[in-house]
Amino acid sequence: MALSKRIIKETQRLAEDAVPGISAVPHDDNLRYFDVTIDGPSQSPYEGGVFKAELFLPDDYPMTPPKIRFLTRIYHPNIDRLGRICLDVLKSNWSPALQIRTILLSIQALLGAPNPDDPLANDVAQAWKQDEQAAIATAREWTEKHAKP
Amino acid sequence: MSSPEPIPPPNDRRSSRASSNASLAVPTLDNTREPVELLVVGGPPSTPSPLALRASNSPSSNRRKSRIAKLPPDVHLLEYLSACDSNLICLICHSPFDKPVQLACEHFFCRECLDHAWDAQHDAQKTCPTCRGRVDTTREPLPVPKIIATMLDELVVKCPNTKSGCDWIEQRVNVHDHVLLYCEYTLVDCPDFDCHLYITQKDFHKGCLHYTEHQRTTCPNRSTACPHCSVELLRLELNAHVKDICPKVIVPCPGTLVGCTVAVERADLAGHAKGCSMAIMAPYFRDQQARIERSEARLEPLSRKVGILEDGLSKITNMLYPPNANDSSFPVTNPLDPNSDAFTTAPLVPTPDFRLPPASFPPVPPSHDTSQTPLTNPTPPPFDSQIHHLLTLHGSLRDEVSRIANALTDYEGRTNMMIINENQRVKDEMLHTNAAINGMRMQLHWLVSATLQQRTGSTNSTGNSTSRAGGSTDSNASGTQGTNSNLGSRSAGASATLHLPLRRLSDSTRQNTKL
Repeated sequence: MALSKRIIKETQRLAEDAVPGISAVPHDDNLRYFDVTIDGPSQSPYEGGVFKAELFLPDDYPMTPPKIRFLTRIYHPNIDRLGRICLDVLKSNWSPALQIRTILLSIQALLGAPNPDDPLANDVAQAWKQDEQAAIATAREWTEKHAKP
Repeated sequence: MSSPEPIPPPNDRRSSRASSNASLAVPTLDNTREPVELLVVGGPPSTPSPLALRASNSPSSNRRKSRIAKLPPDVHLLEYLSACDSNLICLICHSPFDKPVQLACEHFFCRECLDHAWDAQHDAQKTCPTCRGRVDTTREPLPVPKIIATMLDELVVKCPNTKSGCDWIEQRVNVHDHVLLYCEYTLVDCPDFDCHLYITQKDFHKGCLHYTEHQRTTCPNRSTACPHCSVELLRLELNAHVKDICPKVIVPCPGTLVGCTVAVERADLAGHAKGCSMAIMAPYFRDQQARIERSEARLEPLSRKVGILEDGLSKITNMLYPPNANDSSFPVTNPLDPNSDAFTTAPLVPTPDFRLPPASFPPVPPSHDTSQTPLTNPTPPPFDSQIHHLLTLHGSLRDEVSRIANALTDYEGRTNMMIINENQRVKDEMLHTNAAINGMRMQLHWLVSATLQQRTGSTNSTGNSTSRAGGSTDSNASGTQGTNSNLGSRSAGASATLHLPLRRLSDSTRQNTKL
């Protein structure tokens, strides 16, 4: 109960004091379910794209991390076909001192700095390691194809 | 509902501080969650509050103990009115700290938030939620500086029962006592033993209100049909409906008061009443009846008052004119002085008129008709003779007083005279005594000087003795001067004389004249 008050506060703050390039809007019928959009960071193959994601706050949030999945297809070594994200703060390194805002910023940073050494999508990571330029071109192509409004 | 485990509600501020200190002193990590603790008013609470002490001392505490149980307020749910410094916000619950603790890395958390966060970590290696630094659970968490607790205590909050109507706004440190002891809107167990719902504290004395609520809104069996008109309505309102509204109920004509015996259904009653003269007249009769009743009600205290007044009057009359009094023993002047001159004024008024036997004031019974009260009696009341009598009495009393005053002055004069006479006599006596004393002194001197003369053998002149005689006559008029001159003459030297017989003669003559 006390922690759902935190969710309300976080939601209010997200609406009032929005982070540029990131939005998270809760569903009317379920305040724990958010529609998220993340703008692709500049200087990256995802620049110009608007990536949709869904975010769900579990019952024991903030003691457990929120669940996030990309809905927009994205060519990224740490994001698989289903949109699942390999990010330490979403798993073992989660801390209750983190919040939706910081998690989304971390994801945005992940888009700007792919980490093929800790892959989730193995084929993408392979391609990234073998020919980074080609992989970036593919990523840019995917962004054009899927992430343009 | 959201969190699987209930968060232990914050205890009383003092006890919470004590408990946090205690848990800090014991370094083992306490992972077990206490069940939601109900603070029981009337039982032995962790910190004795005034109300709880009073309740626990009262004889009915056993009964109340099982009935009134309140939840202490949840600090996390409070609505803060004062702007809270962002540094006082817990990063985990995003609210101002509640019972804050500190880690070695100088990050602060609510004690409960930290415990929750560590619960989720599953392993023995606990980390700081902010910096992920390792935490030595044998030493940490540490107590926070006092100033932080004070700043938190001074935050202004609204009462958690604000939605129920409480407008209490105060510092956070007081909210626990307010909710548990003073807030009228705190929910307590319903006073009805069979009812398991809650009720606000201010309605506690009204008994269970939930049954009525249940009958109105939630009971599946709440509606019924009127047996007369078969209208659907709440069972709760059936009686009122039948009594006042239902058109099919057979009711008597409003003229029943005046004697109409017709009884028809309520719907047809209007038609009947239009034609029934008794029904038309009934309101007037009712008005009259009410007026008569009002008048009677008013009359009753009035007649009682009249009775009391008459009682008092007859008592006064009895006091003034005892029933056995006759002319001779009439107490106008008798108790003062039966033989005084003032008695002559009394016969001015015929005595039979004074005497008003109590029979002339017949006490009116309370049910007596007002037309026969003595006030409206056509026969002249005997009051004027009474007044006359009182005036006479007054005159005689005044005479008596003046007579006594005269007697007093008389006595005074007489006493004065007596005192003056007595004084005169006493003065004479004193003069006589003085003269006798002087004579005796003279003789003594004479004897002494004669003895001296005999011893010395010298002679004295007669002139000397005559001057002495003159000095002695002077001393008769004023005693002290005489003795002085005698002493002077004696000290002058040879005062003894040869003319003893002459002196004795003069002395003896003086003695004779005085005595």
